[in-house]
Amino acid sequence: MAENGEEKWLAVARHIAKTLGRNDTMADDILQIFSNFDGRFSREKLSEKGGEDDPTTRACAALEHSLKSLDRQISRYVAADHPIWLDSADSSAFLDAVDELIATVRDWNRMAAADKTVGACLERAEDLVQQAMFRIEDEFRSLMERGGESAGKFSGESSEEDEEEEEYLDAGVGGQIPTARPIGDYDIVIDALPSGIINDLHQMAKRMVAAGFGKECSHVYSSYRREFLEESLSRLGVKKLSIEDVHKMPWQDLEDEIERWIKGANVTLRILFPSERRLCDRVFFGFSSASDLSFMEVCRGSTIQLLNFADAVAIGTRSPERLFKILDVFETMRDLLPEFESVFSDQYCLFLRNEAITIWKRLGEAIRGIFMELENLISRDPAKVPVPGGGLHPITRYVMNYLRAACRSRQSLEQVFEENAAAAVPPTAKLEDRGSSSSLSVQMAWIMELLESNLEAKSKTYKDPALCSVFMMNNGRYIVQKVKDSELGSLLGDDWIRKHTAKVRQFHVTYQRSSWNKVLGLLKMDTSVAPSVAARSMKDKLKSFNQSFEEICRSQSTWIVFDEQLREELKISINKLLLPAYQSFVGRFQNVPELGRNAERHIKYGVEDIEARINDLFQGSGGSSGGRK
Amino acid sequence: MPATDYQGSATGLASIGRSMDGSGGGHHEATGLELELEAFQRQVADRFLDLCSSSSAAAAAVVGCEDLLSVQWVRKLLDVFLCCQEEFRAILFNHRSMVLRPPLDRMVSDYYERSVKALDVCNAVRDGIEQIRQWQKLLEIVLVSLDGHRSLGEGQFRRAKKALIDLAIGMLDEKDSNSTVAHRNRSFGRNNFTRDHRQLGHFRSLSWSVSRSWSAARQLQAIANNVAAPRANEVVATSGLAVAVFTINSVLLFVTWALVAAIPCQDRGLNVHFPIVPRNLPWAAPMTSLHERIAEESKRRDRRNACGLLKEIHQIEKCSRAMSELADSVQFPLTEDKEAEVRQRVQELSGVCEALKNGLDPLERQVREVFHRIVRSRTEGIDSMGRTNYSE
Repeated sequence: MAENGEEKWLAVARHIAKTLGRNDTMADDILQIFSNFDGRFSREKLSEKGGEDDPTTRACAALEHSLKSLDRQISRYVAADHPIWLDSADSSAFLDAVDELIATVRDWNRMAAADKTVGACLERAEDLVQQAMFRIEDEFRSLMERGGESAGKFSGESSEEDEEEEEYLDAGVGGQIPTARPIGDYDIVIDALPSGIINDLHQMAKRMVAAGFGKECSHVYSSYRREFLEESLSRLGVKKLSIEDVHKMPWQDLEDEIERWIKGANVTLRILFPSERRLCDRVFFGFSSASDLSFMEVCRGSTIQLLNFADAVAIGTRSPERLFKILDVFETMRDLLPEFESVFSDQYCLFLRNEAITIWKRLGEAIRGIFMELENLISRDPAKVPVPGGGLHPITRYVMNYLRAACRSRQSLEQVFEENAAAAVPPTAKLEDRGSSSSLSVQMAWIMELLESNLEAKSKTYKDPALCSVFMMNNGRYIVQKVKDSELGSLLGDDWIRKHTAKVRQFHVTYQRSSWNKVLGLLKMDTSVAPSVAARSMKDKLKSFNQSFEEICRSQSTWIVFDEQLREELKISINKLLLPAYQSFVGRFQNVPELGRNAERHIKYGVEDIEARINDLFQGSGGSSGGRK
Repeated sequence: MPATDYQGSATGLASIGRSMDGSGGGHHEATGLELELEAFQRQVADRFLDLCSSSSAAAAAVVGCEDLLSVQWVRKLLDVFLCCQEEFRAILFNHRSMVLRPPLDRMVSDYYERSVKALDVCNAVRDGIEQIRQWQKLLEIVLVSLDGHRSLGEGQFRRAKKALIDLAIGMLDEKDSNSTVAHRNRSFGRNNFTRDHRQLGHFRSLSWSVSRSWSAARQLQAIANNVAAPRANEVVATSGLAVAVFTINSVLLFVTWALVAAIPCQDRGLNVHFPIVPRNLPWAAPMTSLHERIAEESKRRDRRNACGLLKEIHQIEKCSRAMSELADSVQFPLTEDKEAEVRQRVQELSGVCEALKNGLDPLERQVREVFHRIVRSRTEGIDSMGRTNYSE
C-alpha cells in the first residue's frame, strides 16, 4: 500500500501548502520547497489537478507552473524604472531567469508540435521572452552609450608615465585616445570600452542570440560603434568630401587634407579597427558569424569614406606638381594593405579588401599619368624664345630637379611602373640589381630623350651655330651633372652617362670648330707665296684677325656657360688652340722686314691680351651669371 | 526630354552619311566611320526600346509600369550604359586621330569631365543601396517574428511592430527626419531612462559618405549642363562624331537621373533641365518616353514624398504599412481569418525581402562596375589624347 501512503503524504503536503500559503504564489513556493526536498513530491503530483492521469494536461500544468514563477521574476525586472544592470546581483538574477525561460521554451517547443494546448501555454512564454528581450535590448543600448562615454582606456605599459607627454587624439563621444609622441608610432592597443561593460554586453548578447533576437542585438551594436567610428574619423580631421569637392579644391588645401587623411587612415586601420574587432569578438563571443557581420557593419562606412578620398585623389588632375603628395597617398595605402588584409580577413569584409587594392592600383595609374603629363609638357614646350646667351633653359632645370626629387621615392616608383598585379607588400629585392632594365629606367630614359629632342629644337632658334652648340653644351652638362648626382645615375646606367658626357664633348668640338676655325685659318701661313705678297697678306690677315677676334669676343662674352669647370675647359681649349698659332704668327710678322718696324702699329694684342680677352668669354651679359643651379 | 524636329540645315543629323564633304583621302575612312556611327545609333535605340518594352504591359494601350524602376530594370539600365560606353569608346579608339582635332577634341574632353561628375552619383547610390539593405534587415525581423510554424502571440506582434516602426522612421524622407520626433509605442514597462534625440538617429542609423552640402539634384544639373544637340557645322566638322558624343552624353545623363530617381540619396531633386533631342535620332523616342514615365511616377500622389522610386521601395512601404495596420487591429487570441490575413501579408513581405536579397548585392556591384569603367575609359581617353598630341 505504498501508493496509498504516498497519496496520503501528497495530500498532507498539499494541505500544508494551502493553509500556510496565504496566496497561490506562496502556496506554490511551499510546494516547490517540498518537491526540492523529496523527489516523490514532484510538482506534477503536488499540483491541484494531480488526480487526473492525463499526461498532457499534467505536462501543461507543469509548464504553466514553471512559467508562473519565471513570469513573476522577469516581469518584475522588465517593469523596473531603473537600469537592471546598475546592480550586478539584479542582472545575474535576471539573466538566470531568462536562461531558464529560454531553456523551458526550447524544451517545450518540441512538444508543442504535437499538442495544441501546450502550444497555447507556450504563447505566454514566448510573450515573456519577447518582453525580456526588449528589456535586454534597451539595457544593451544604454550600456553601449554609457560605455562610450567613459572613454577608451589606454592599456599599454606606458600609460601612467607618459600621461603628461601624451598627445591626445580626440576620438568618440567625449573619449580620447592617448597616443605617444610622435604620431608616427601607432603601436598601441586601446580598449574601446571598459572591461566590465564588455562582459555585461556579452552576457546580454548571448541571451539575445539564444532567443533568436540576434539581429536586433547586432543592429544596436553596429549602430553605436559605427557612429563612434565616424565621429572619431571626423575628430581626426578627415572630412567627408565628394570627388568633385576634391577636384575643385585649391591644391594647397588638398595637400592639408591629404596630410590629415594619412594620419586618419593610419589611426583607423592600425588602432581603431583592430580595437573594434576585439570588441566584436568579445561581445559576440561564441557567435562568430554575428561577430563578423557586426564588425563589417561597423567598419564599412568609415572604410568607404577613407577609400573614397584616396580614390578622388587618384582620379584628379595629373599636374606634375602633385606627384609627391600622391606618392604619399600611394605609399600610405601600400603600407596599410597588410592591415586591410588582417583586419578584414572574414568573408563579409572581402569586398573592402578588394576595394582597397583597386584604389591602390588606381593611385599607381595616377602616378603613371603624371609622368605622361610631364612628357607632354616637355614635348609641347615651345621653341620660340631662345634663352639669351645660350644658357641653361628653365625647362632643363625644372625637369632635372623634378626627376631628382621624384627618384628619392625610387622604390615606390619602381612598383608603380612594374604594373605588377600582386597585392600589397613591396618587393625587398635589391634595387641595384634591377639597374637599367626596369620599367622605371625605361621611363626615365624616355623622358631624357624627350627633353633632349626638345632642347635640340630650341637650339635651332639660334642663328649662330656656335651658340647652338654652347646651348646644347650647357644644358647637356647640367643634365649629366644632375644624373650623376642622384638615383637617376643608377637608373639610367653608366653607359648612358658615358654616352651623354661624350655628347657634351662633341658639342664642345662643334663649337670650337664653328667659332674659331675661320679665325684660326687667318693665322695660317702660305709659304708658297713671294715675300712681298706674303707681307701684305699678313697685314691683311692680321687686320682681319683683329676684327674677327674682336667680334667673337664681343658677342661671346655675352654668352653664358654656367658651369665653372666647363667654362675653364672651354677657355683652356681655345687658348691651346689659339695662343700658339697667334704667337707664331706674330713672331713671323715681326720678322718680316717691311712690317717689322711698324709691327706695333698692326699688332693690337699681345699673347697675354688674347688670353685675357678669352678669359672674359662666357660671362653672360652684365657680369657673372652665377654658378651651377 | 522634349524631342523636336531638328532645326538645322539639310546637311545635319538627318544625313550623317551624306554630310561628308568629299575631302579627298578621308573618304574611305568616312565610310567606315559612317557605318560605325549608324550602328551605334541603332544599338542605343534598340537597347532603350528594350528598356521601354520590358517595363510595359504587353498591350500597347496600357501604360503599365509594372517593372519600371524595379531592381532588375535598374540593373538592365546599368548594363545598357556599360554597353553604350564600350561602343563609344571603340569608336573613339578607331578614329583617334580625328579625336585630336577641334572641335571634337573639346567635345570629347568635355564628355570625360562630365563623366567624372557621374562618379559622385555612383557613390551616393551605393550609400542608398546600403540604406535599403538596412530596411531589408528590419523586414527580416518582421518575418522572423511572424513567419512561424507556431501560433502568433502578442509577443511576436510586438516584436514585429517595433521593427515596423523603426522601418517607417528609417524611410522618412531626409527633409522630414530632422523635424519629426517619433516616439515608439511601448506596451511594456515605463523604462524611460534618458532617451535623447540621438536615439532617433539610430533609427536612421546610416549617414551619407558625402558632406551635408552635397546635393544629388545639383550634381545632376551639372551633368546636364551644356548637353545639347550639335549644330550642323559641328556635325560636318567632326564627320558626324559630334552626334555620337551627344548621344553618349544623353545616355549618361539619363542613366544618372534614373538612378537618382530610383535610389535614396541626399537632396534627391529630379527637376533637371534635359536637352532637346532631335526626333530623328532613333533613341530619342524611347528615351523620352522612359523619361516621361519616370517623371510621371515621381509626381504621383502616393510617391511624391518617397525617398526613392524603386519599385521594391514602394513594395516595402505598402507591405509594411499594411502589416502595421493589421498588427494594430489584431485582437488576441487571433481569429482564423486574421491569422490567414497575417500569413498572407507575411508572404508578400517575404517576396519583397527575397527580391531585395537577390537583387541588391548584384546591383551594388554593377554600380561599382559603372564607376570603374567610367574611370578607366576616361584615363585611357586622356592618355591617348595626350600622348599623340605632342608630335607637332
